[in-house]
Amino acid sequence: MRTYLYNGSFESFLTALAMALKDGEDSALAMEGQAREDLFTEFVNAGSDPAAATAMRELFERRGSAESWQHARFAFLSETEDRDAALLAYARLIKEKGAAADNMLADDRVKRVHGLSASVGGEAHMFKGFVRFSELADKTLYAKIEPDHNILPLLTGHFRARLGAFNWIIHDVKRGRAALYFRGRLIFAPLTQQKALEFAGGEAAVQGLWRHFFKTAAIKERTNPELQRRNVPLKYRRHLTEFE
Amino acid sequence: MELQEKLEILAASAKYDASCASSGSSRGGRGTGAAHISGVCHSWTADGRCVSLLKILMTNECVYDCAYCLNRRSNDAPRAILTPDEIAGLTFEFYKRNYIEGLFLSSGIVGSPDRTMELMLTAVRKLRQEYRFNGYVHMKVIPGADQALIDQAGLWADRVSVNIELPTDKSLRLLAPGKTKDTVLVPMNRLAHKIAEHKDERRSIKSSPAYAPAGQSTQLIVGATPETDREIVKLSEALYAKMMLKRVYYSAFVPVTKDSRLPALTEPPLLREHRLYQADWLLRFYGFKADELLDEAHPTLDLAFDPKTVWALNNLDKFPVEVNDADYETILRVPGIGVTSARRIVRARRAGALRLEDLKKLGVVMKRAVYFVTAGGKYEGIRKESGEAIRTKLLEHKPSGNGQLDLFSQADLVRETLPATVTGQL
Ligand code: SF4
Repeated sequence: MRTYLYNGSFESFLTALAMALKDGEDSALAMEGQAREDLFTEFVNAGSDPAAATAMRELFERRGSAESWQHARFAFLSETEDRDAALLAYARLIKEKGAAADNMLADDRVKRVHGLSASVGGEAHMFKGFVRFSELADKTLYAKIEPDHNILPLLTGHFRARLGAFNWIIHDVKRGRAALYFRGRLIFAPLTQQKALEFAGGEAAVQGLWRHFFKTAAIKERTNPELQRRNVPLKYRRHLTEFE
Repeated sequence: MELQEKLEILAASAKYDASCASSGSSRGGRGTGAAHISGVCHSWTADGRCVSLLKILMTNECVYDCAYCLNRRSNDAPRAILTPDEIAGLTFEFYKRNYIEGLFLSSGIVGSPDRTMELMLTAVRKLRQEYRFNGYVHMKVIPGADQALIDQAGLWADRVSVNIELPTDKSLRLLAPGKTKDTVLVPMNRLAHKIAEHKDERRSIKSSPAYAPAGQSTQLIVGATPETDREIVKLSEALYAKMMLKRVYYSAFVPVTKDSRLPALTEPPLLREHRLYQADWLLRFYGFKADELLDEAHPTLDLAFDPKTVWALNNLDKFPVEVNDADYETILRVPGIGVTSARRIVRARRAGALRLEDLKKLGVVMKRAVYFVTAGGKYEGIRKESGEAIRTKLLEHKPSGNGQLDLFSQADLVRETLPATVTGQL
């Protein structure tokens, strides 16, 4: 039994996936440092091979469809324990059945990956609303997020289209990574906050106005905190200006 | 007056307007903002409603005296007015911090309808031209304003709306002196034509300007006047067909002013509002006709069951439906099956025959659907022709009521139904 180890990047993951797929039925995948040692498993470092990753992408896209590839990409961003196993099983099925696999909605292998992909997509959609920028002294817009899944890569296109005229940073403080958009260029980089942020002069006033607006907009006769909690789970409120 | 104080007064007056949709629009071009195609909620207020727009009145002053309205002339309340610059600036500052998708601007009538409309247009024009704002703007059209001014609204706003407020001319005359069916329907009709005209034009000339690309909507108040559900649902059906409206919003009457012409309600008829939204949904996405849901003999929506279940119980001869070969429209009419699960069924059965136990995995609510479907000929409901037994069973599975609405099912309904085209709390 072999387990292929990847380094955490998507390219490395696809490389390991390709190797595991070739290997046969009882191979497995794991991220370096997270695999549990046992006597019967042989660990193989998959490295990161662009050609193998591309071939894997083509398997999803051509043998499967654009939809299969999107599910695979999104599911990879989910941070659940069974992600690797779920994607491996899904890849095997795509290899065997092609695009028809995605019609097998009652099959647990398909249902799991579609489900992971939907929760990643759903969280990314929610965060298009939940990201809250503050204006820093140098006019940069800065936002902190702590999503369940690694959705940062799915947010940048959205904010680029809207806030292309500004410099901005979206900081995933849970993962210590940030998307930095400066003068029209986007980069992803590790980021930890060193010192206190210096805000623009009018920032506190605008935040105050927003909190007032938010409070006033609720209709007393219809108060329904449970519904509110279902829509804005408490875990997301920490970085929402209106709940601070 | 401080901006904060103004904001408080003017947001408070605007909040009874139900609409929060910010979907179905996209404006290209340089500048800041894009109205995201599928719409996004940015937060939810303490009453559980979606916040996606800076929903605000330009002013709560008003020369009219509509009985149900907080802004009525005779109401002794603090008044405020925002300048066009304040409106544009506030929208821009909020948008850039991602608090909102855009602006929803409405207003009481200050001076005259024309004067009001002019000021509102100035605000939105500023936002578009000086701030180069491409985000979403929904503008209320003021009944009675000059046609040329009304026409301009669609050039600057993504969505335009004229509120019907009350479902019949009689009720309007009673509670909203100064408004009649015509003051509402004439501008609505005019806008419908303009929107259609521009759409055609854009089909042949791509560069011609967009006109209210997110279409037109309206709102009406439920429970302030004696109209039946049937009258309301028929009205909505006509508005969708004849005025090509994108949405009709229903707003449970909240008695914010005291007036002998208004009913004395202890609380707003929220469940009725909810049922109307469900019926509305059935018209727009499920292929139902108003007459199928309500007739002369039964003009009121059942408060115990959603309207689709009521229809099914009244049409038991059409059930059970075989999920392996019924067409999509028929499957969609099964209680416990929504748009998403119906689509999944049609898709999944291509990969192989479906069994009853598969349906749950496809998102079907089997506790309800079980009485209405077969899979491969297998049926696990009750072999009884009378609807009574099924009715009783269905009631057993109602989510336990704690006095609140079964908002779960409302949330499910929203999620089930084309999340790509609709957002927001109903
Ligand atoms: S015209 Fe509009 S703002 Fe004025 S009182 Fe009537 S409903 Fe209220």
